[in-house]
Order: sequence, then structure tokens, then C-alpha cells
Amino acid sequence: MALAPLPSPEAALLVALGAVPGAWLRFWLVNQLEPRLPRRHWGTFAVNLAACFGLGLLIASGHHERGMAASALPLLIGTGFLGSLSTFSTLAAELEGCLRQGERRQALVLALGSLLGGLLALLAGRGLGGWGT
Amino acid sequence: MGDMTPPSHREGSRLAPLPPRPEELLLVALGAVPGALLRWLLQADPLANLLGCLVIGLVSGSVPARPRAMLMVGIGFCGSLTTFSGWILALERAIGLGSARGVSLLLLELVAGVLAVLLGRSLAGRLARRRPRQTLRR
Repeated sequence: MALAPLPSPEAALLVALGAVPGAWLRFWLVNQLEPRLPRRHWGTFAVNLAACFGLGLLIASGHHERGMAASALPLLIGTGFLGSLSTFSTLAAELEGCLRQGERRQALVLALGSLLGGLLALLAGRGLGGWGT
Repeated sequence: MGDMTPPSHREGSRLAPLPPRPEELLLVALGAVPGALLRWLLQADPLANLLGCLVIGLVSGSVPARPRAMLMVGIGFCGSLTTFSGWILALERAIGLGSARGVSLLLLELVAGVLAVLLGRSLAGRLARRRPRQTLRR
């Protein structure tokens, strides 16, 4: 892990400005979805897929860049908003919860569903975003 | 996993969840900003993901449950520190490159994430035993 040269305050501000609505949207959507879904963890699943779809759109629009010195839109939307919208830790915690309660099948369905669903959502976003251009 | 439940969810009726309270939004935002900045500064998603899994294990395993810490640290900080979309993108690229090693490492990352949650929970359990509180374990 090479720590890159210090980032500019403007870049950090963009990441933070994207991160707050991303986390809020995740929190709000999970709260909205979970009571309507048969199993609680499908709320996080849906939010994660939405973020993959958004990332696909961003890639198709040619605005996806990684790294410290990325330009404004990738920092705000990619690293900030979509990075915060999606969550790996809650998925892992939900998988751990399923396994702890002996629901191995549910854990497997959630893990494989997230993996395949995430890949499909990413490809769908990229395909849809590529249409107009 | 009742311990992951934010207060507004718990208080809402089953069909009509309450809108988030300003206090909850503030806690989520206070965690989300350092989480996203740390992920960006690290420039190493697997490290950010595993760290977030360990921390969410620590918070969700704390006895008694701490809903406010869950909002700020679990949902805000860990949720923003870790990224599922970044993981899926790395996976898609490894598949595209035909890199069996890359795909295996990424799949291993999810397994390691689950283990990190488990480790966090067991550390939280040990801390709770060392400092016993009045509240009984459910």
C-alpha cells in the first residue's frame, strides 16, 4: 500500500460531499425496504445492486477514474456517492448473522445473489449508459 | 439481527417505516465522512473492506446493543468505508482478464470479511465480559 502524495482539500471535500447523500440514501432505502421484504437483508442487497448499476452508468459515461488525482465528477459520484451508497461490511455482517443462526442456505443464496446480481447490475448500467453514446 | 436495527426502523410500524430523524441523519453523516475519506486515502479497497467488517463486528457484537453507535460507526463509518460496488467492479475486471487468481482473491475477500465480522464480535464479547454491565444478554 503506497500512500500517495497528500490529496488536495478540494478533492477531499468532493469525496465527503458525495459520501453524505450516499450514506443517507442507503440508510433511508434500507429502512424503507426492509419492513416490506420477507428477509431483512434484501434491503442492503437492493442498495448494493443500485450502486453497481450507477457505477456501470458512470463507467459508460467515461467519467470513472480511480486514484487520488481523479477529476471532480469521479471523486464526487464514484468514490464519494456510489462508494458510500454500497456497503461490503453490512453484507458480511448479514452473512455472518445467517451462519451464526445456522441458516447456511440463506447465507449461500445471499452471497451468490449479491455476487451475480452485482455483476449483472454493473453490466446493465454500462450497457444502458453506452446506448446513447 | 436485531442489533443492526436503527431506532427509526424499530419504532416504525411494519408497513410504514418512519422517516429518519434529524439526529439519526446527523450520526450517519458524522460516520460517513471519515469512512469515505479513509477509503479514498487508503486506495486499497480490500484493506478498507476488511477493516470495516472488523469494526462493524465490534459494534454489532457489543452487549448491550448500542443503537447510536450502530448508526454512526456501523451504518455511517463502516458502510462508507467499505464498498460493494468497488468489489464487484474488481471482480468484473478479474473475470474479464481471465485471472483465476484475481477472482479467487476477491472471493476470498468476502470469506475474510465474514471472518473479520466474527472476530470483531468475539472481541466485543470479550470486552463485555471484562466490563460486565447490568443489562442481560438477550
